[in-house]
Amino acid sequence: MSDNRRAAVPAGILVLVLLPLVLLPLGAVFVFAFRGGFPAFWNVVRSADAQFALRFSILIASATAVVNGVLGTFAAYVLAKYRFFGKRPLGVVVNLPVAIPTVVVGTSLLLLWGPIGWLGKVLDPLGFHPMFAPVGILLAHVFVTLPYMVGAVRPVLDELETTYEEAAYTIGASRWQTFRFVILPALRGGLLSGILLTFAHSLGEFGATVMVSGNLRLRTQTAPLYIFAQFEAGKIAEANAVAAVLAALSFVIFFFLLTYGVGGGAGRAGRR
Amino acid sequence: MPALAAGGAFLSECALPDSVLYPEVPLIVLLMKTSVSPRPRGRVVKPGVLRDRLRFWGPIVLGAALLLYAAWPWLPGTGVARPRTVVFYGFSILGEAMDGGVFPAFQKSWREKTGEKIEFVSSFGGSGTVTNQILLGVPAEIALLALEPDARRIASAGFARRDGWKALPHGGVVNRTPFVILVRPGNPKGIRGFADLARPGVRVVHPDPLTSGGANWAILAEFGAGERERAGGGREMLLGIWKNVVAQASSARAARTQFENGFGDALVTYEQEAVWDRSRKKLRSDVVYPASTILSEHTLVIVDRNVRPDRRALIEAFANFLWSDEAQRIFVRYGFRSVDDRWNRGQPQFGTIADPFSVADFGGWTRAKPEIIEKVWRDDVLPKAHR
Repeated sequence: MSDNRRAAVPAGILVLVLLPLVLLPLGAVFVFAFRGGFPAFWNVVRSADAQFALRFSILIASATAVVNGVLGTFAAYVLAKYRFFGKRPLGVVVNLPVAIPTVVVGTSLLLLWGPIGWLGKVLDPLGFHPMFAPVGILLAHVFVTLPYMVGAVRPVLDELETTYEEAAYTIGASRWQTFRFVILPALRGGLLSGILLTFAHSLGEFGATVMVSGNLRLRTQTAPLYIFAQFEAGKIAEANAVAAVLAALSFVIFFFLLTYGVGGGAGRAGRR
Repeated sequence: MPALAAGGAFLSECALPDSVLYPEVPLIVLLMKTSVSPRPRGRVVKPGVLRDRLRFWGPIVLGAALLLYAAWPWLPGTGVARPRTVVFYGFSILGEAMDGGVFPAFQKSWREKTGEKIEFVSSFGGSGTVTNQILLGVPAEIALLALEPDARRIASAGFARRDGWKALPHGGVVNRTPFVILVRPGNPKGIRGFADLARPGVRVVHPDPLTSGGANWAILAEFGAGERERAGGGREMLLGIWKNVVAQASSARAARTQFENGFGDALVTYEQEAVWDRSRKKLRSDVVYPASTILSEHTLVIVDRNVRPDRRALIEAFANFLWSDEAQRIFVRYGFRSVDDRWNRGQPQFGTIADPFSVADFGGWTRAKPEIIEKVWRDDVLPKAHR
């Protein structure tokens, strides 16, 4: 009771600040999405364009999560467990995508892999055009979300007591066995939250995608690009219907992140 | 810490799926360290097992369902054979007319003629944006652009035959539309023509000439209207209007959306926007027809480099279809003016323009682009307007 009373003022201020910043805009998305009633919303979501955009986004996000699940864990493992010259700069490079504007990521990918880019020029005669194709979008998303995976896994690795590993080595486990049976189980929490974060970010990625996708409906248009295209064309109901679906999907992802993370595991682990 | 106490036994035990051994181990720990130590195994049989199982399998089942939903159309055996596609890029305001009218009409006529079902894949944006995308390598096979100079850029980069569109009907021009001014209902600022946009206190929404074809036409319209009042009046007109420009959107359609969302007092745009909305009773602004204004001409380009030989016939059939009576009537229904005046009488929403002019009056785009857009607007008016 007294806790509640003490928290009333700061919590109230926080809600007041968050109201125009987060809650009202999010509410507006849903209000506009359902303004024409549920059938209108359903008709938009059911349309071929919206269905493609949503499915395509989920597939790209899953692929990104898988690729970065491996790549990010590997990067975190190397950075945490090995000592070598240039480790610090490499750590900076891995985290660089957080600092680079996503539009710049898009342009730089275009300038490398595009038909006028260095690599693109070589690949062009081979009939391989990564840009304006799903693989180009995947490249962009892997680039943009890599730091989230590394960021989720590396702190766990850093804090993992080396005694476990040493024990494994003393009983004759190889480096791979140690990783598979000692480190990986301990990493599970970080791994899963990293994958969920990567998935969520990839689902909503816009800046880099808009540069490399070509924005072709039924081909390379992701859900955020669909929303933007519809909104620019003045079709606010269409844009908001898909926006509401995306928002709901991210709620579900964060529900899992929070219930399985703070409420369940971390809370319990912290109490012990 | 009990972990590893069993030594080798621990390793062999862990070879079993962890979920079998420790179903209550929390799945996800938000950016948190987790302990390696396994929980005592006795707790497994206590009540709450079901809840724990649900906690473990719930997200997995949900994730798998989501993935299945997403991948469904691509799974073998679920989809029908993919039909051949035409990849079409168009300038911003074409969206409804193509998606809603022209594409379905061509699909029908092609199916009647050949029995083949084809699909359209399309993207719409500012004419300059679309052109830049094509130059960067998007797989566009055919593009309808707002500006002939954009077509020329595609040709000179080697993506299309030089002047290839001139061999098409009407010199490659598919349709036209004059430039008008949209104002707030009741025209509270009393705007009658381009000259009124230059008055102080009028806030003008204008698309960006760097990426929007419509914006280039609008500049010619403003310049031409000024010149027709008196020689040398064009530059003054542009300077006056551009001092009042409060927003530059990337395409004509994006500018329209800004205006519709309550921004500015006046919008310079295609008549098509107004006609199409008024014919559906959706227009929430008044249309002002300036006494003299330009009729834009929209050029079709076949992007030869992206057209595979086995699709050539399909693409050319579609190109020619755009000048068919059927397609031209569709364009008129959606508010464009046909290149064939016969069909224009069918649209009662078209306004009358006392003194229309065209880009040919400036010597064509080969002269208008460097002399008016670049020399007058970009190098002279723009730097002075925002001082």
